[in-house]
Amino acid sequence: MTESNKSLNRRNFLTNLTKVMGGVGGIFAVIPFLSTMLPSEKAKSGGAPIEIDVSGLKPGAFKVVEWRGKPVWVVRRTAEMINNTQEDNNILSDPKSLEEHQPKYTQNKFRSLNPEYLVLLGVCTHLGCSPLYKPNSKTAELGFDWKGGFFCPCHGSKFDLSGRVHKGMPAPYNLEVPPYYFVSESRIIVGKDGESA
Amino acid sequence: MKKLKIYLKELKWMNRNLLFFLLFFFANTVQSAEKISLKPVLIDLNNKPSLQRGAQIFINNCLGCHTLKYQRYVKFIDHLDMPKDIIEKNLIFTTDKNGTRTKIGSLMLNAVNPDFSKEAFGVVPPDLTLIARSRGPDWVYTFLTSFYEDNSRPFGVNNKLYPNVNMPHVLWWMEGLKAPTNSGSNEYTYVTNGSMSEQEYKKSITDLVNFLTYVSEPAQLDRYKIGFWVILFLTIFAFVAYLLKREYWKDIE
Amino acid sequence: MNKFLAWIDERLPVSNFVKNHLSQYYAPKNFNFFYYFGALAIFIFILQIVTGIFLTINYKPDAASAFASVEFIMRDVEWGWLIRYLHSTGASFFFIVIYLHMFRALLYGSFKNPRELLWIFGMIIFVLLMAESFMGYLLPWGQMSYWGAQVIISLFGAIPYFGEALATWIRGDYVISDATLNRFFAFHVIALPLLLFALIYLHLAALHTVGSNNPDGIEIKNNKDSDGIPKDGIPFHPYYTVKDTFGLSVFLVIFAFVVFFIPEFGGFFLEKDNFIPANPLQTPEHIMPVWYFTPFYAILRAIPDKLGGVTVMGLSIFILFIMPWIDRCPVKSFRYRSNTYKILLSLFAISFIGLGYIGMSAPTPILTWVGRLFTLIYFGFFIVLYFTSANEKTKDIPERVKMDE
Repeated sequence: MTESNKSLNRRNFLTNLTKVMGGVGGIFAVIPFLSTMLPSEKAKSGGAPIEIDVSGLKPGAFKVVEWRGKPVWVVRRTAEMINNTQEDNNILSDPKSLEEHQPKYTQNKFRSLNPEYLVLLGVCTHLGCSPLYKPNSKTAELGFDWKGGFFCPCHGSKFDLSGRVHKGMPAPYNLEVPPYYFVSESRIIVGKDGESA
Repeated sequence: MKKLKIYLKELKWMNRNLLFFLLFFFANTVQSAEKISLKPVLIDLNNKPSLQRGAQIFINNCLGCHTLKYQRYVKFIDHLDMPKDIIEKNLIFTTDKNGTRTKIGSLMLNAVNPDFSKEAFGVVPPDLTLIARSRGPDWVYTFLTSFYEDNSRPFGVNNKLYPNVNMPHVLWWMEGLKAPTNSGSNEYTYVTNGSMSEQEYKKSITDLVNFLTYVSEPAQLDRYKIGFWVILFLTIFAFVAYLLKREYWKDIE
Repeated sequence: MNKFLAWIDERLPVSNFVKNHLSQYYAPKNFNFFYYFGALAIFIFILQIVTGIFLTINYKPDAASAFASVEFIMRDVEWGWLIRYLHSTGASFFFIVIYLHMFRALLYGSFKNPRELLWIFGMIIFVLLMAESFMGYLLPWGQMSYWGAQVIISLFGAIPYFGEALATWIRGDYVISDATLNRFFAFHVIALPLLLFALIYLHLAALHTVGSNNPDGIEIKNNKDSDGIPKDGIPFHPYYTVKDTFGLSVFLVIFAFVVFFIPEFGGFFLEKDNFIPANPLQTPEHIMPVWYFTPFYAILRAIPDKLGGVTVMGLSIFILFIMPWIDRCPVKSFRYRSNTYKILLSLFAISFIGLGYIGMSAPTPILTWVGRLFTLIYFGFFIVLYFTSANEKTKDIPERVKMDE
């Protein structure tokens, strides 16, 4: 190794070492700037699960609570509604809820943990309007064999009392079921799966 | 060594200026003495039990009138090592107007009606989130240990550090009530005993001031630790950069 | 890679730029410690822009929410505290670096022919920087923000005839209010940074036209070799890129120490009173501008008349602008100048630092008189220098530069 070769090697080594360390330092320096754009404590708090008290909800009644800027519906089904809920009745697009718009523990004909209470996100899966609760009106628009459910006034999509979309509607999917669990018989936490989920 | 000599010669004038500045600077720090001297308090933000006790004292005694409106309960999970359910059960006592309990992610507010407190106290009790930063921990500690009996005041107390303060001695039940031994003296005797001895009270106030110091700047818990690694990395980098500089500058005679 | 570069070069002269301004741009080889500060200033400028952008993401320029939004950044935004401290520490370090950078120019005569325009651009940058930091300081909307702005803007009211109208026009209201905050936000975030960027570009362009001065104050372009390269010049890249990398890393160690361990810097970088929200009904006991304005504030207070104070304070900055025409000595570096000049410059530096201390302190009778003395010395430097520099007894300047090592 000549003197100048040794020197050149040293020079290259030091240059590369500086570049590598500088690069590593640079990456660590960039991380706080990228992370700072993540949701703040305020956003995380606003997006936190909510607790809904359904003790005052009468059978057949419908309650709306806001969560993450969206309407959350709770419907207390009557015995009649529960009995009339069918697995499949040929008018539904996805009766078995095969598309993933609900947590696994609500993948049943009631689309709920407890058949007595239906919890849904009240956002039409077409373009986001909030459908109306129509348990038993019979009009020309709904059809005189309307078995109860939800109707979206924006473009006419119809859903049954489990939030399942009818065939041939503008809306492609069943209404979304948020994660939820019962913390007691009359209190539901929406926004989080329960321990046994 | 030769380089150092040349710099020193050239910067002889600069150094003299620096000396003057340092002299003035230290003179200035001596100059800013309070009317009454502040009692020093030992802050230890790593002492989580102390912070927890301080939080409890504040929430039980102070939050009723004084908000901590920039602080969230949820931060106590990481910063005070408290589990979520303990915080919700022991530290959150407010609800919204519908009766729903305040969520853990909320800011630490209270139900004070400003008009009422203005009438009751003469002033709206100020928010205390930053009190330990604007006044300093020693000031807060001295304030809370300087209440004494004064029957000429509406609440029967006065404060040595903050004369004619509008605040009652909320913690009298802990400390008791002391009065000057002789009128105008700096010695005090207790006319009423509280639930704690003087030592215990001082310890509790230390916990409370510790907590308020944390609240005034939660970042303190992180920045010293992170700073150590950053400076360590930068020092090593500076050393490598120096070797690189010296290597290239060998070319220049 | 080479093909790619060639494609770019046909459309934008990148390779030429690198040659003319880096690898074949020749700088004197005897740069010393004082020559780090220009490069450091560029680094801090970029740092302030980047941290400023990220602060703007969460800051709310409304008198009702500004203070709270800063605390929100400090507590509830990920890494917000770090971005805030980088920005506040950066502002103070910007002035430390700039004052040392300007002092270098006085030491080595870097403002003299042919660098007068370079100096003037630099002075304009200095004034813009003072405006930028003054406006930025209002934004946290603390007690010191509010009352400091109140005092400074009311100075404009001292101007006869149109002073009050001018002050109202600046404020957008009859007192400092939400209107003032909003416009200062607009100026601080975009208007002044754009101007600063333009002026910094002009400053560097003027520099590269004439080339740098050096601690010996001799023009290296007067001594070129057979290839037309200054004998005492070395290519900026790699020699000064490598040296400035080292300088930057040392600077960062000191900067990081302040940011992570003493961001308030004893109340000098972040003042204690500024952790109290602005209260128009209650003035703090001790109003003081941020430390980097205190020398000029002391000069203002030294004159017992309000308009007089404003005028003399303005003069103290203006007189720096015309330094190239005040100092008539052809010898640039203080290494080769008379003892008279060395004494004058030292007195000037002492007076500047002394004025700074006085500007931070409460105006006691003694300090007021010392402030007046220092103000006289400050202006005395320029006045005496004008006369003594015409026929100054200087040492022989060398042909070639002297290396320090």
